[in-house]
Amino acid sequence: MAEKTVVAIQIIIVLFPIIMAPVIMYSNRISDKLRNGLSVLTAAFTFVLTMTLYPFIKNGGVVQHSLFEIIPNLEISIRLDLLSFSLASLASFVWLLATPYSLAYMSKEHACGRYYPVLIFTLGSCQGIFFAGDLFSLFVFFELMSIIAYILVIHEQTEEALKAGYKYLVMTIIGGLALFFGMIIIFELGGTVSLGVGPIIQEESVLGLVAFICFLIGFGMKAGMFPLHVWLPDAHPVAPSPASALLSGIMLKTGAYGLIRVVFFVYSFQLLHAFDWDDILAVLAVITILLGSAVALTQTDIKRRLAYSSISQMGYVLLGLSIFNTNAITGAIFHIFSHAFMKSALFLAAGSIIWKTGKRNIADLRGIGHQMPITMGCFALAALSMIGIPPLSGFLSKWTLALGALDVGMPGFVLVLLISSLLNALYYLPIIIPAFFELPGELTIKHHGDVHHEPRIKIEEAAPLMLLAIVLLASCTLFFGLTPNNIAYGLSRLTAAFLLGGGGL
Amino acid sequence: MALAEHLPALIVITPLSCAFMAPLLYRRHALASGYMVLLSLLITLVMSALLLLKVNREGPLSYQMGNWSPPWGIEYLADPLRLYMLVVVIAVSLWVFFYALKDLEHELRREVIGWYYTLYLLLVASMAAMTMTNDLFNLFVLMEICAISSCAIITIKQDRECLEAGFKYLILSAMGTGCYLLGIAMLYMVTGHLNFEYLQNELSTAVAIYPLNVFTAAALFIVAFGTKAALFPLHVWLPDAHASAPSPSSAMLSGLVIKIYAFSLFLILYQVFPRSLLDSLPLSEIVLWLAALGVMFGSIYAMMQKDLKKMLAYSSIGQIAIIFMGIGLDQRLALVGGLYHIAVHAVTKGMLFMAAGAIIYATGVRKISDLAGIGRAMPLVLAAFTIGSASMIGIPGTGGLISKWYLALGALEIGRSLFVLVVLSSSLLNAIYYLPIVINAFMSEEDFAHKVNEVPKMLQLALVIGMIFIVVAGVFPRPLILLLGEAVANFF
Repeated sequence: MAEKTVVAIQIIIVLFPIIMAPVIMYSNRISDKLRNGLSVLTAAFTFVLTMTLYPFIKNGGVVQHSLFEIIPNLEISIRLDLLSFSLASLASFVWLLATPYSLAYMSKEHACGRYYPVLIFTLGSCQGIFFAGDLFSLFVFFELMSIIAYILVIHEQTEEALKAGYKYLVMTIIGGLALFFGMIIIFELGGTVSLGVGPIIQEESVLGLVAFICFLIGFGMKAGMFPLHVWLPDAHPVAPSPASALLSGIMLKTGAYGLIRVVFFVYSFQLLHAFDWDDILAVLAVITILLGSAVALTQTDIKRRLAYSSISQMGYVLLGLSIFNTNAITGAIFHIFSHAFMKSALFLAAGSIIWKTGKRNIADLRGIGHQMPITMGCFALAALSMIGIPPLSGFLSKWTLALGALDVGMPGFVLVLLISSLLNALYYLPIIIPAFFELPGELTIKHHGDVHHEPRIKIEEAAPLMLLAIVLLASCTLFFGLTPNNIAYGLSRLTAAFLLGGGGL
Repeated sequence: MALAEHLPALIVITPLSCAFMAPLLYRRHALASGYMVLLSLLITLVMSALLLLKVNREGPLSYQMGNWSPPWGIEYLADPLRLYMLVVVIAVSLWVFFYALKDLEHELRREVIGWYYTLYLLLVASMAAMTMTNDLFNLFVLMEICAISSCAIITIKQDRECLEAGFKYLILSAMGTGCYLLGIAMLYMVTGHLNFEYLQNELSTAVAIYPLNVFTAAALFIVAFGTKAALFPLHVWLPDAHASAPSPSSAMLSGLVIKIYAFSLFLILYQVFPRSLLDSLPLSEIVLWLAALGVMFGSIYAMMQKDLKKMLAYSSIGQIAIIFMGIGLDQRLALVGGLYHIAVHAVTKGMLFMAAGAIIYATGVRKISDLAGIGRAMPLVLAAFTIGSASMIGIPGTGGLISKWYLALGALEIGRSLFVLVVLSSSLLNAIYYLPIVINAFMSEEDFAHKVNEVPKMLQLALVIGMIFIVVAGVFPRPLILLLGEAVANFF
């Protein structure tokens, strides 16, 4: 594929959903069906287009193309390499599943005319983040996505949602300003913010460190890194479930993606390592992992527990990123994949339960496995994968991460991973076990002599479209764990090698 | 062509002459009078643009009024920098007048509208001349015209609040002009010149002989222009004046009038005072620190306001301070940022005042807390308000980001990261008081509680034009930035 075609396809991938958003908004006036159809079609088309880039990527292609100059030396440009492709394909895949899920889920909700355009618009801006060829374009799309996603967060428009949304917005603005500051320092020091020119910062300086911390704040805020995670457990649970799945599954990753770009393309990992700047990241990552898990234990609302779990899981990615060897980076990137599948599956399953029964409190979920066996089965699968039970994908990412930690002689990190797994088990199992092995609260086992008569519980599953998305995501966690030679793991390996090899520069 | 040579004079004369015809025509034919004003502004804009093109092609142009050559006569200078400001002034005036045509009928008594046109055109003419004049005394005369007409477009509403605010403005403004006149006298005493260029040449020697005179003059200028442009802590008159005035007047006052004084101070600092003086006196340092304080305090005051227009007025104090920071940082990139912000903020604040005016026009509501749910009742007006807020915060895709980018870059270049933080915190503070209004307007659970009348098409069109301006300024700023970059290059 010629470079020009690739650039054209990328532009379409980014712009098509953004252009479709107003079209969908308008179609809402004509009919609901048309609006729903257009939304699904847009997501599907974006996914297909993204996948057409695969042959080009497989051959090791890298594209860096400048589109137009905004002000001297500051341009909007586009880039395609292994890293951007990995995340873009992942994002469009999860969107492809979450959009049909929304059709069923949102049928009970208000203001769908606002929800779908925003959902599709965020898809476009998310792809824009992954395809950005310089920090400035990345920043533009990052802000665009964050601000538009606000509408998803406050969709319910309850007081709780508005409060969470305001917190989210203020943190987003603070993060955006930090990024702005960091970017300006990089521009000042290096005269460019392009991601295609190799490490921009070549030597140690105070300003360089300040910029690095700014990036940590800006991107770390998005990724839910301690101590900037405060907005996340409020904002993710209040959104409608498909939106929570996307917020936790994909949009969190844009923060991690930004950090990867900064570590490998703005600075060089050798430089960070030489001055121990990577230690900042490592320490924060460890705190994030442990704190997220510990707080998740205390949550009683299922979606809040999932949100805290996201914080701790993003810690894995950051931890992997702070160790510069092939295994650790592979683990980090693969964990982006597997966490996207697991957490989206969990949020969608939790959403189905809430949709069907209205129960959000974990104590009320006893026996739900009898009522919704498929949904809860998938939930269990994804939760076990979170804990890191082989042969699920969560195991594979933790295994690779642990190998990476051992390669650099840091058994302490392995210990952190193990403790976190234990904590994961402690807060996921009490959801799963009562769901299957106890009966719903209003029913009890009646004793007639020695014979136990279990009351019959009617199976009431969620809508088929919702089930489809959940089953597909859960089977992804199984599939990508069972066969280590799969596309996701392969891409992660290639990407890690690519990043450590200097990013094809 | 003979006429082309007289463009600098014609640009001032056209609105000036129309100013006196407008009320006469208004008695006969109200509508025609309004359109005549619009036409005259349009012609002036075309002439300014032509002049800018000509100057860009052929280099700076000096125009001598009545053919009296500089040391005695009044000289008008047309270089890219001044013409940039001129085009901003005329374009924004035209745009605001477009809005005023319909809005005034609602805010003023019919008899005075014709006189409002006169005052408006006088204001435009004086500002246009202020951008070009190269003579300190002429600048004084123009400042007086500008001050009186801007005071009058506040008090023309004739309610208690406006009269009080107008009077306060008049007194403080007169004090500013007084300081300025005294300053000119000091400089004239030691040099015997009023022309910028001649002054600059003379001053480099005069400062050694009469340092006290020159220093006092510099201090007086800062106070004079600081008062007029509402530089903190001389801003006390602004909130009342800008908030109580009719909405088109607010848009003009906040959008252009305070900036023209900031621009004049900038010209005097860089074109009258020799570089050596600027290096030995901490003039720009004073401006810089006052500006930094103004950025913070303007925003903090704005947060405490309950009235929408008052909030916008206080926000202007913070924003004019951003422009002063660009001047005070004394660095090329920062200066470009500050000057670019003049245009960006003129459009942004103009549009915000227009949106507030449209809200008042349609519903009569002024209190921020009463705006819950209004976004669903008046989507376009609130969309404009949202875009304006985004530009205030500096969200990518709006002009506000570009000016902040250059300011921050300039501050970093000379190693003053503290002021980068000031610029960034200004964005954050703006977010804190603008966003809740937007959120409340669109997302509030309750519906808008007041009756909503229809907003005239012309008002809506004016808002749409503003939105387009802001986005274009954020996405295609390159030509303007290049123009400004070249224009200020010879100051450093």
